[in-house]
Amino acid sequence: MSLIAVIQQDLRSIASTLSGTLTSLFKDPIENKELWSSLYQLGYRSVFFVLLTLGFLGAIMNLQTGYQAQRILGDCAMVGEQMMPLLVRQLAPTLTGLMVATRVGSGIAAELGSMVVTEQVDALRMCGASPIGYLLKPRFLACMVMVPALTVFGGVIAFVAGLVVSGWVFGIQPASYACFDQVNRWDVWECCIKAFVFSMVIPIVSGSAGLNAYGGSEGVGEATTKAVVESCLAVIMLDLLVGGVIFLLR
Amino acid sequence: MIQFCDVCKKFGEQTVLDHVSLTVFDGQVLFIVGKSGAGKSVLVKHLIGLLQPDTGQIFFDGDEITHWKEKDFYPLRLKCAMVFQHSTLFDSMSLIENVALPLRKHRHLSHQESLKQALEKLALLGMESYADQLPAMIGDGMRKRVAIARALMLEPNYVIFDEPTTGLDPLSAEQVDQLIRRLSDELKVTSLVVSHDLRSIFTVSDRIVMLYEGKIHFDGTPEQFAACEDPVIYQFVRALPDGPMV
Repeated sequence: MSLIAVIQQDLRSIASTLSGTLTSLFKDPIENKELWSSLYQLGYRSVFFVLLTLGFLGAIMNLQTGYQAQRILGDCAMVGEQMMPLLVRQLAPTLTGLMVATRVGSGIAAELGSMVVTEQVDALRMCGASPIGYLLKPRFLACMVMVPALTVFGGVIAFVAGLVVSGWVFGIQPASYACFDQVNRWDVWECCIKAFVFSMVIPIVSGSAGLNAYGGSEGVGEATTKAVVESCLAVIMLDLLVGGVIFLLR
Repeated sequence: MIQFCDVCKKFGEQTVLDHVSLTVFDGQVLFIVGKSGAGKSVLVKHLIGLLQPDTGQIFFDGDEITHWKEKDFYPLRLKCAMVFQHSTLFDSMSLIENVALPLRKHRHLSHQESLKQALEKLALLGMESYADQLPAMIGDGMRKRVAIARALMLEPNYVIFDEPTTGLDPLSAEQVDQLIRRLSDELKVTSLVVSHDLRSIFTVSDRIVMLYEGKIHFDGTPEQFAACEDPVIYQFVRALPDGPMV
């Protein structure tokens, strides 16, 4: 099958999963046990990973920015002021989205994929439950709640890491670093919209890959790889799209 | 009554079912046999909408179900249950929750009421003391019994068993065989059993259909099957390594 045909097939499958999930939101009752389990598995258990990654990346970004500022301008006082809009607009939502796409996306695809190849999804259909409504909807809702929350936590930890590194390496005062004058409402909107969009796209893309798995363990492996690659690509492409639209609207 | 009329199914270039026609009469225990990959499971999955035929027609109690959509199959699945080859219990649910799920989804019973009825069904199969355990904590034979309890939860008229005794110890296999026979004799349940377990085939079945190279190669009673001199059937019945079946 040609690359274009594969892309078309994947897009059709993602669109079908999205419409099925949105329909299910209003039609099927919420499975509380599955929802709480998803909130725990996808959200709570991602906290440490997201905080650690965003913390390190926040520190690295500030280190590099401070180094460049010192080299070119000879003054690091503006580092915090310049970092804050970037952190709110870009670092917090996009890096959180990418981290969630790798950790949660692979988990969703592997779990649903193995249920497909072991006929558990067929058994679910025999029990009168829709696979999308029963399996994907709780994960979708959990991501809708947890991705924005993780974005906030990730942003805060990246800010704290940057504050510490800037103070320690470049001697920037905390009050000088924590300058939010350059952050406006558009930056906050951009962060919120990106977090919201990523929280929708990651479970849909991963769920679609998992539910379309076939074969045995090899098929589950392929579905998992596909979920991570496509989720990350979707996050990056939507990052550009949302960022571009908001840039034009400003 | 179930009828498959001239059903064909291909997966890619591979023809799995080649103009298969078959009628299943009520109350029968029909064994569908054949070597692995003969299309036995594929055939029965058409009946409950898990697969759709490329060509041909399928009738269930007089209704043509060939082109039904997923939603249309919900009422049919109340009357026709399936026990899958690997039990397919849901790992995240306890045994009782697994058995109660069809009641909650198909009959819209409350959680408590469905659990109560599920416990009764588990008790019938001697599994009530394991009700709160997870599927991973019990053996294959027990999992199979729980899967059967789940399939019987809605009191179906038809039950499809996909290799019900594969991987079970002889005692568990015997218990499953007896259960299939009892369902037919006492509750008049029609059973379609996909199997290549020769012991089960000859002790439980009323009628045997053999699939070979996508077609129905034999349709008759166990006695006729055992006495048949056809080389393919001869090889299958005697489990001979050499013969026309590769």
